[in-house]
Formats: sequence, structure tokens, C-alpha cells
Amino acid sequence: MEPITLLLVLVCIIIGGLLSSLAVHLMPVGGAPAAMATATGIATGCVMLMTGASVTGLFTASTVASFWATNPNVILVALSGAVGSMLMMGFTMFVGNLIYIFGAGIVPCSGRVAVDPITKESQTEYKTPRTDGHGVPTVSFVSGILGGFSGGFGGALIYVMLVSDSYAHFSVATAGIVAMGIFIANAIIAAYNIGGTIEGFHDPKFKARIRTGLTCSLIVSALCGVIVVIAMLTGTLVGGVM
Amino acid sequence: MPVISLFAWMLVIAFLAFIACMFEDLESDIGSQSNPNSQVQLAPEMGYIHRYFNKAISGEGLSYGLSCTISGTIAMLILLQLGSVGPKAAVLAIPVGAAVGSLVHMVRSSTCHVGRESAHKRFEQPIYLDVFYGHLLPIATHNFMAVICITAIAYIQCNLGILSGVTGASNPFPLPLLCLIWGLTVGAIGSSTGDIHYGTERVFQDKPFGEGRRVVYHGQICRYGDCGVRTSKDVAAFCAKFGGPATGLAFGLIVLFENWRTVIGMLLGGLSIGGLANPAVAAAWGIGIGIGIAIVLVILARTLEKWTRNKYGPFVGE
Repeated sequence: MEPITLLLVLVCIIIGGLLSSLAVHLMPVGGAPAAMATATGIATGCVMLMTGASVTGLFTASTVASFWATNPNVILVALSGAVGSMLMMGFTMFVGNLIYIFGAGIVPCSGRVAVDPITKESQTEYKTPRTDGHGVPTVSFVSGILGGFSGGFGGALIYVMLVSDSYAHFSVATAGIVAMGIFIANAIIAAYNIGGTIEGFHDPKFKARIRTGLTCSLIVSALCGVIVVIAMLTGTLVGGVM
Repeated sequence: MPVISLFAWMLVIAFLAFIACMFEDLESDIGSQSNPNSQVQLAPEMGYIHRYFNKAISGEGLSYGLSCTISGTIAMLILLQLGSVGPKAAVLAIPVGAAVGSLVHMVRSSTCHVGRESAHKRFEQPIYLDVFYGHLLPIATHNFMAVICITAIAYIQCNLGILSGVTGASNPFPLPLLCLIWGLTVGAIGSSTGDIHYGTERVFQDKPFGEGRRVVYHGQICRYGDCGVRTSKDVAAFCAKFGGPATGLAFGLIVLFENWRTVIGMLLGGLSIGGLANPAVAAAWGIGIGIGIAIVLVILARTLEKWTRNKYGPFVGE
């Protein structure tokens, strides 16, 4: 196998991993408190949400990759995955807001910033005292959409590099599982870095922690990439084990 | 005609997705799984002895990923064994697979509830056997409905080329992996959306309506129903009126629009019975339509937020 091919696979896995980590940091994740409208964001954990979004993207990416008999277009497949994750995030946040508004009579507002950076609307007077905000305000919604795009692109990029005949040439199932595994490893590391809840790119936590998160992701993705490269060199997974 | 058939199957998949996610959410509400479980878990510590079913096997995504993968694996094994019968074998394979998945889920629910409640002995929380036995069947049946729909979706997507007559329409992933993918997604959506109606509203129904649940309320769950003591079975009846269908809608819309934009892209890329004429055009159109839908969603979300602020107004009270 050409060294340049191996290097390309390694670089793409690292880029995919970094984008996945960035995606988790961009998610408006409220965790368990958000389910009680005690915190702003989506009412589930980072890993759960991001895994759901990324596998939706992975599904679309696999369908689009099968359009080509051989050598799928890397950018188009990765973008298809990105859009798939983005739509999953968009519908989830929208319906979540519908339940907050019509099921519990709650106004979406941020708990971390006084003014929404996008709409320029004040948040403080809509917030219930002794909570950390509630619902998914516009800025968090946009951040979630961007996060979905970034995560889906990263996951689908890893998948298409692994499945393509010109690169790793794993079977579709093996490529899917390996891509999912690398993605989840990055999501978990990012979740530890966030440590609880985050509202999106406007949250002060984002600025404070993104550098650490991306550094850890770089190490994890490089390690995963090296393992994939070893598998390619030894031919362990080429053609697939499934 | 085959292209129309492709659209028809897409709508069947979207309908099944709606049913799957609705039942997934209701099942998680009956068992107090996922995020609102923190309140049921905290209640005895706050002196609130309750009759809720308390299970948190894992996050909903992983729990449903496992149930659906078991179902998909069993279904695939039966399909392989009954290969000579042809596609009719699916009529047996999918329900049997889903039944095994649900049984495993029921076993995990049992051990989880008993383990969690026995750990609350120090707070004098008893293990009510009628609560334990009474909730296992609703949990298993709701889980069965969700898992059978997911397995059916995965089966259709695996064999879409044969079912619709369009070459290359099938998804390349094997049945168990598709079950894992949709199981993870259905759990993630059920956890993200449906839990709000249970956690914010139903569990705190005796607290003021229309405000976020303050930290001081945590653990002080509502234990009494319209008549008598409330159990988790009463939760399903309440959440089935709004939270469950809304959650189903979220997953249904995701599956519908994901497939719709891909199929529209394929049509614009020159889809015929023989396959795609121009894959790059098909993929590019799919991406463009998807970005368009995302922009519409952002506008809708902003409009809804604006409407809510005008309608409900700022927070009043202390």
C-alpha cells in the first residue's frame, strides 16, 4: 500500500475526530437538568445526543456512498452525512422546544448570557429564578445546527475514507462500526471535558475548554488512526470481517 | 412505477418511525428511564416515598441500541435459516426477533428496578411487588412495539432495491447494523424530546405551571394522582396525549426528510430501474435540499421563540 494513502487515511481520521470533538462542544446539551427545565439545552447527555446525530448522518452517508459502484466522492459523501446529522439535530431541538412551550408553558431562554448574541434579545427577565435557563433559544439552536453539521461531516469523512476502494477498502459494515467507534471515543472525551452542561458557542465554557478538548481529541484520533493504518498494512480488516 | 413504489416505501418507513419513537418514549416514561430518573432516584432521599417504577438501565440510546440489535440479529438468523422460503420468512423473523429483544429488555428492567430500590432501603423506600410485577408487561409491550417497528424499518431499507424494483436503492449496511443505528437514534430522540413532558410536567404536576423547575424542587416528585397513589402506569396515559406523539413526530420527520431528500436527489440524478445515471448530481441535490430544510427549521425556531415571548411574556413571580 502506498505511504501517501496511509498518510491520507491517518490525516482524515484525525480531521474527522477533531470535527467530532468540536461538534460535541457546539451542542446545546442540558443533560438531566434540562429534562426538568432547570438548564438550557437539549434534555440528554452529550454522548447520547451526538451519537444519535452522527449515526443518522452515517446512514445517509452509507446510502450516498453506494451511489458510486467504486471510489465514492469523498467530499460529497461527507457533506451528505453532515446534512443528515444537521437535520436530526434541527428536528430534535425544534420538537423539544414545542414540548417546552406547549407541554410545560416555558419560554426558551439562555442562562449563561444576558443577551442572545444573534437576536440581541434580553434573556434575564424570561429566566425562572434558581434555574440555569430553560428551552433552546435561537443562539443555542444555531449552535446545535452547526454542531450537527460538524459532527456529521467528521463521522462521514472517517466512514468514506475507510470504505473507499482507493483508501482503506474495508467492508461497509466494518467501516461503519470503526467510524462509529472513533466518533464515540471522541464524543466521550469531549463530554468529560465539558463536565455537565453547555449552551453552545456563546457559552463562556466553550471558550475556556475548547482548546483542551481539541488537544485530547487530537491524541485519541491519532491513536485510532494509527490502529486503522496498522489494520490496513497487515490486511486484517481489508475486505471486511463481516 | 418503480420510483413511485420507492416513495411509497419511504412513507411506510416514516410511519413506522413515528410509531417506534412514540412507543419508545412512552416505555421510557413508564420505567422512569433516562434523565427524569434522577428525580425518582432522589425522591426517597428527600423523604418522598413513591410507587414509581425505577429503572435506568443505561442511556435510552444504548438501551434501545441493544434491544434493536438483538432483534435484528435474531431476525437475520431466522431469515438465513429460512432462505428457501423467500421474503415471506420476514413475517416470522421480525416479530420473533422483536420478542427476544423485548424479553431481554424486560430482564434488564427487572434487575435494574430491584437493584435500585433495594439500595434505597436506608431511606425506608420499600420494594412494592405489585409495582414491580405490574409494570413489567407494559414495559415489555411498549418496547416490543418500538423494536418491531425499528426492525421492520431496517428490513425494508436492507431490501429496498428488491421491494421497490429500483436497482441500488437498498442500504449497504447489514440488518443488525441498521437496527443498531436506528435503535441509537430512536433512543437519543426519545431521551432528548419526550423526557421533557415527563420530567418537567408530569413528575412535578403539583408545582406551578409555566416555569422551569427550580433546583429546590428537585426530588419533590408528585406522588398522588386524581384518585389514590400514582404509579408509573398513570404517567404513560398522560404523556401519550402530547409528549409521546411529539417525540414520534420528531423521529418520523427526520426519517421522512432524510429519505425524501435522498430520493429527490436520486431522481434529479437520473434515477431509473437500472440505477443512477449521475451519482454526483444526485448527492449534490440531496445536500442542497437538506441545507434548505435546515434553514427553514432555523427560521421556524426563531418565529416560535418570538411568538412565545410575546404570548407568555417575561417571568412573573418570585
